[in-house]
Amino acid sequence: MRLIVARCSVAYTGRLTAHLPEALRLIMLKADGSVLVHADAGGYKPLNWMTPPTAVIEEGETITVRKVKGEDQLEITLHEVLSDVTHTMDFDAARLSKDGVEADLQVALADAPHWCGEGFRLVRREWPTDIGPVDLMCRDEADGWIAVEIKRIGTIEAVEQLSRYLERIRLDPAKADCRGVLAATIVKPQARVLAESRGLTWVEVDLAVLRGEREPALTLFG
Amino acid sequence: MKITTARDALFAQLQTVTRAASTRSAVQALSGVQLLASKDGIELRATDMEIGLRVPLEGEVVREGSIVLPARLAVDVIRALPGKEVSLELRPVEQDVEILGGSASFYIRTLRLEDFPPFPEVEGDVVEVPGDAFVQTVNKVARSASRDETRPVLTGILVSATADELRMVATDSYRLSVKETKLSEPLAGAFEANVPARALQELTRIVQHESADILSVSVRANQVVFSAGGVVLSSRLIDGQFPNYRQLLPDTYEHELRLEGGEVTEVVRRISLLAQKNAPLRLAFTEGELTVSARTPDVGEARETIPVPFAGDPLEIGFNPEFLRDGLEAVDGDVIIKLISPLRPGLLEAGDGSGFQYLLMPIRLNV
Repeated sequence: MRLIVARCSVAYTGRLTAHLPEALRLIMLKADGSVLVHADAGGYKPLNWMTPPTAVIEEGETITVRKVKGEDQLEITLHEVLSDVTHTMDFDAARLSKDGVEADLQVALADAPHWCGEGFRLVRREWPTDIGPVDLMCRDEADGWIAVEIKRIGTIEAVEQLSRYLERIRLDPAKADCRGVLAATIVKPQARVLAESRGLTWVEVDLAVLRGEREPALTLFG
Repeated sequence: MKITTARDALFAQLQTVTRAASTRSAVQALSGVQLLASKDGIELRATDMEIGLRVPLEGEVVREGSIVLPARLAVDVIRALPGKEVSLELRPVEQDVEILGGSASFYIRTLRLEDFPPFPEVEGDVVEVPGDAFVQTVNKVARSASRDETRPVLTGILVSATADELRMVATDSYRLSVKETKLSEPLAGAFEANVPARALQELTRIVQHESADILSVSVRANQVVFSAGGVVLSSRLIDGQFPNYRQLLPDTYEHELRLEGGEVTEVVRRISLLAQKNAPLRLAFTEGELTVSARTPDVGEARETIPVPFAGDPLEIGFNPEFLRDGLEAVDGDVIIKLISPLRPGLLEAGDGSGFQYLLMPIRLNV
C-alpha cells in the first residue's frame, strides 16, 4: 500500500464532475487498484475514491486514476509532497472474525432449538427449498414441522423471506401445516406486527445465554 | 337501510366499538364497523376475530338493513359533522352511505357486508357477576399477563368464579399475580376460562363506562361472551394448560415484614429512576433497615434507606424495578413482603386481607 501525504487538488470526471481545491490530504493507493483521498475530518469515508479495477498513471506531479471500464477518472495534482511511503501488507481478508452473526446464532440455536419454541427438536440445519435453504427445520412435541429463519436483526424483510420459504415448504402435502418462527437477537416492531398478521411466531434470543456465557433470567417456571 | 340519531351518541358509541376493529387484517371488512338497523333497534358491531364488540345505539330506524363502514374514517367524519342530528342512508346502486349532518353531506364507500362475521349471542349457562368486583380483580392482575405471543397461554388471565369467590391469575413467568375476591352473594353458577388479557382490559373500560352493576358471563367451548349494560363483548378463549400457580407459591418464607405500602412504593419509584438499561433495583435488608439502591453505568446511582422491622442476617436481593413497582402499586394500604433468599421468589401480599398476592422472581446480582 502506498500512502502519500500531500498538498493536492483533485478533479473527478465521470457521471458528474467534482473538484477538491488544494489542501493537505492523505492519498491511499492500494495494491488491488483502489484509490482513496482522505481528509482529517468527515468520518471514515474518503472525499474521493475509485474502486478497482483501475489504471493508475503517474506523470510528473499528476496521478491519473481511470476506471478500466467506463469514463470515470480521478486526476490528483500533487502541489507539495510531505510523505510518500509504500508498505507491503499481509493478506488477511479472511481473518476478520465477527461474533454474534447469523452463523453463530444458527449454530447455537441448532444445539438448543427449544429457545425457538417449547419442545422443538432439530431435524436439519440449512433445510433445502427450491428458493434457498431455510436455517433450521424443527419438529415440535406433536411432530408438527416448524421452519426457523434466523437473523441478527429481525426485520420485515426477514418475515417476507420466511413467508416465501413457507410457501414453498407447504407445497409438500406432508408439510402443509408447517409453521414459521423468526428468531433474532432483536425483532423490530414492524416485523413483529407483520409476522403476527401472517400467523408466524417470532422470538428474541440472547447469544450469550444460548452459549451459557450468561445465566438466563430467573423465572418462576420453565 | 336508513337511520337518524344524535351525532354525539353515534360518536360516543363508534369510539367504543371501534376499539375492537382490526387495524391490520387482510380482510378489509374487519377494519370496519357494522351498523345493523332492525325493528329491535340499532346496533354497532366490530371485531378483529379475537375480540368482538356489540354496542347499542339510540335512534330511529327509518328503513331496516345493515352496512359496514370503514371504522376510523367513520369516527373522524362523525366527530367533524356539524349539527346535533345525523342521518345515515345506504345507497345500494352507488354502494355507499350518505351521511348528512347540519349542512354537510358525506358519501362513504361501504365495505363488503358478506365478509363481516356473525356474532355470538349471550346464551346457555349465564353467570352474573358483580361488575365492580370483576373490574377490580382484573385491574389487580392484568399487568402480570405476558405480552409474548410465543407463549400464548401466558397472554391470558385465568378467571375462575365459584360460589362466593372470583379468582383471577396472571403470569408472564417472571411474576405471578393472584387475586381472590370474596363476593357479597354467592354466584348462581361457576366457570373457569383463560381469557386474553386484552379482552378483559377492554371489558373493564366498558363496565366502568356503562356503570354496569352486573356483568353476565357465558362460557362456551372456545369462546366467552360478556354482557354489561347493553354492550356485548365476545372473545376467543386461549387453549393450553395454564401453569399450576398454587405449586409456584412457596409454603414457607425466611422473612416476613409488614410495611406501609405507600411509603415503600414511593421509595421504589424514586430510586428506579436510576435503574435503567435492565439494571436491577437492589433491596438490602439489615437489622431494622431497608436500603433501596440502583446504579446504571454511565448514568448514575441512587439510594434511600427506610426503617423496617427486619431482623436476622443481612439479605440483599435484586428485582426488575418495573415489576416490583407494578406489584407494590397493586396493593392498597400495608404490604406484607415475604422473602426466602436472593435467588428465590419474593412475595408481596395485601396487608388488608383482600386476597392479593404477587410473586416475583429476583434478578441475579453480580456484586
